[in-house]
Amino acid sequence: MKNAQFLFWNFFLLISLLISVEAFSQNQPSEKKPEIKELNEVLVNGNSIEKRKKEESLNVETVNNSFIQRNLGGSLMQSLQKLPGVKTISIGSGGSKPLIRGLSFNQVIVVENGLKHEGQQWGADHGLEIDQYAVNRVEIIKGPSSFIYGSDAVGGAVNIKPLPLPSQNTFGGSVDLTGKSNNALFGSSVNLFGRNENWFFDSRVTTMDYGDYRVPTDVVHVYSYAVPLYKNHLRNTAGKELDFHLSTGYSGENLKSVFYFSNVHTKSGFFANAHGLEPRNVDTELHDKSSRDILMPYQQVNHLKVSNTTSFQLGDHAFETQIGFQNNFRREWSHYVNHGYMPPIYPEDMYAPKDLERQYDKNVWSFSAKDEFRLNRHQITIGSNVALQENEIGGWSFLIPAFTQFNAGLFAYDKIELNEKWFLNGAIRYDYGKIKMKSYYDWFQSPVSENNQTEMEYLQRSQDLTKNFDSFTWSIGANYNPGKLSLKANLGSSFRMPISKELASNGVNYHYFRFEKGNPNLDAERSYQLDLGMEWKSQNFSFQLTPFANYFPNFIYLNPTSAHDVYYGAGNQVFEYEQSKVFRYGAEFQTRYYFLKSLSAEIAAEYLYSEQKSGSKKGYTLPFSPPPSVLFGLNYEPQISFLREPYFSVDYRFTAQQNNIVPPEKKTAESHVVNLAFGTKVKTGKETVSISIQVQNLFNTRYLNHTSFYRLIELPEAGRNVIVSMKIPFSISR
Amino acid sequence: MKKIRFIITIVVLAFITSCSSDKAEIDSEYPVIDITGANAFPIQCSTISRGQTITFKATFNDNVALGSYSLDIHHNFDHHTHSTEVTTCEMEAVKKPVKPMLFINNYTIPDGVKTYEATAQITIPADVDPGDYHFMIRLTDKEGWQTLKGLSIKIL
Repeated sequence: MKNAQFLFWNFFLLISLLISVEAFSQNQPSEKKPEIKELNEVLVNGNSIEKRKKEESLNVETVNNSFIQRNLGGSLMQSLQKLPGVKTISIGSGGSKPLIRGLSFNQVIVVENGLKHEGQQWGADHGLEIDQYAVNRVEIIKGPSSFIYGSDAVGGAVNIKPLPLPSQNTFGGSVDLTGKSNNALFGSSVNLFGRNENWFFDSRVTTMDYGDYRVPTDVVHVYSYAVPLYKNHLRNTAGKELDFHLSTGYSGENLKSVFYFSNVHTKSGFFANAHGLEPRNVDTELHDKSSRDILMPYQQVNHLKVSNTTSFQLGDHAFETQIGFQNNFRREWSHYVNHGYMPPIYPEDMYAPKDLERQYDKNVWSFSAKDEFRLNRHQITIGSNVALQENEIGGWSFLIPAFTQFNAGLFAYDKIELNEKWFLNGAIRYDYGKIKMKSYYDWFQSPVSENNQTEMEYLQRSQDLTKNFDSFTWSIGANYNPGKLSLKANLGSSFRMPISKELASNGVNYHYFRFEKGNPNLDAERSYQLDLGMEWKSQNFSFQLTPFANYFPNFIYLNPTSAHDVYYGAGNQVFEYEQSKVFRYGAEFQTRYYFLKSLSAEIAAEYLYSEQKSGSKKGYTLPFSPPPSVLFGLNYEPQISFLREPYFSVDYRFTAQQNNIVPPEKKTAESHVVNLAFGTKVKTGKETVSISIQVQNLFNTRYLNHTSFYRLIELPEAGRNVIVSMKIPFSISR
Repeated sequence: MKKIRFIITIVVLAFITSCSSDKAEIDSEYPVIDITGANAFPIQCSTISRGQTITFKATFNDNVALGSYSLDIHHNFDHHTHSTEVTTCEMEAVKKPVKPMLFINNYTIPDGVKTYEATAQITIPADVDPGDYHFMIRLTDKEGWQTLKGLSIKIL
């Protein structure tokens, strides 16, 4: 550790020295062309991304699929973690949730092809159901974006853009192959697309199969109990995935209509020795027989999306309508363990299969329409969206009730181009939401004492309850782009409707073995945020600083109390939803310097501070607060005649300790992790094959990640992982 | 180029100042369940007879203020969970429960107390299944930090 720290400071000093020296001397201007990506024969120009950045007053980061391929992680968000301010709550090696500036769950929204992704975002173990191979371009908004997306986007948004359309009269495809050493993953994704003049299709099938992931230790301590690991494998963390995508439609001069269909299916195991922070005895012989089998406990999730986006031009107006349906079907399987007053033997005539612990079935219908037009210097967008949700529950355990939800919103935003240098942004939005929760009774009886008489009763877990919310949000911002420097500022408000879990949960969370209790009196969460951005871009030097300050007058927070629940909770600690004032601030910093045309260094750092200013946990931080971290990278892109765009890069990430914690978290020590990446494109005939190789955690360092789902039970992060991925395009006819 | 120097200075300053903050002391320590005392009961591998009333005894400590505790006795006939203790007890073979004992109760601790000698009477019914059981102690402090102790016991 000492050694690594020494290296880190030396490296830091060296880099800062180089930057300061070089920055003051005039450099030979090197030719850095704007990035031009060839994608399905369609050119996506890096300039449009630049333009968007200069005109948008919120902080926006955009990455494309070559970034994802170079930094390929186990899931989409893990592949984007290199971006400062973007972290994940990882669930094993194949799933993760977005964590933008410390906010996640229902405070960050994910939009795919214009449709708001609706899964079971509230669960820490519920990964994002997105196929990262099907992602072409992702835009991450690090800030309140309720005025665009409505409720939930208080912390930010991950916007997965629609695929660019294939160019006319083409028929081709590509094959992606991925292998990973750590969890013996094999993945493939096959893409086929075609278009005549106006009609097109783009399809994809992705499969993934992986074993238990390995950690650099042979024993982990779940509480004080030592769990031996067989050959460093985290027992039962294997998984598989099978995804289908199809987009098809018509693209003409004045009309474009695209149908999107996708189905993402995953099955993945939970670490067998700790389903619910309770050290569990497992049949090691059964579990360790194979590192690829998925035994109980495991989760199975299917996410189906069908939508149509139609855009057409009428005079000066560009209209767009979208109609969508999605279904999220989630099942969590685990051996029946009676707790509280459940019968010791599972009744034979139960409504749910014996090992089906939980089941959530969500249907969402949505419709949106917008109109974009210019009025002198104003670019105005007005629109509205409506969504209806239906949620059913199943399984033998209870946490949240079934519910239906209705949301509608109306918005208008205006971008004013004052002159070439100045842009102003303003937005207003009105939202209405209604949530209707259903009553639920236990399927077993519990003893209830009244007047010294004990009677057995079916306890009521949740009541019929309907709540209405409405909200008015706004946002104003300005951009100033005098040449190489660009400055931006934005002040905005955001809101989030409480979800059914926050209003009405009343059961045990088995992953954290705690009793969670909703609060029907919660208000809609509000947030006010000031965002600043400063960017400098010259030919060989770029620099970006994005500080923010954020205030929530009523942040919804799951407060650990000192009480225990003796009924359903089986004596577990009670966690209850409350609202508190929260103040947060932080910044991300990125810089890149080109020493030579082929050699560059980068630094990316992030810092976040959160504090609860009122309530039971006044003075404490918020859960899952990412510690400060700095990434140092060196990137070498030599000119080699027979290779196209070869690259070699080394990253060193220093993550500081996190001592700002809130119960039941634990302090997390600092970590030092080194990653290597290299790759190239090779021209074979007409096609260009790209190959990327990564060595993640090069030194097989044992470390804990403060924001990992498994942090609470002290499971270390994955050990060394060699990832090889290849993209082989082909064209059948042109 | 002076601009760049200015910007870098600002950034460095911003980082340094943002990293140090004036924060009031908050409690981040777990409460402690102490069963090492001479009269603590039960302890790992204790045996209890049916029809008896046992007295639970343990010492609880916290740096600021204790919260509450709960006790839970449930069967471990399927060897489903582990105790949190290092020593293992001799276990009977796995068996199916017929009428296993189930006891769950929570207890208050007076406000503002840092050390507490907990005692509680528990009656073991005469007609429950004998065998391996777990005795769980869950202790919280005022702020919601929780410590667990899972003991393996036998009901004879």
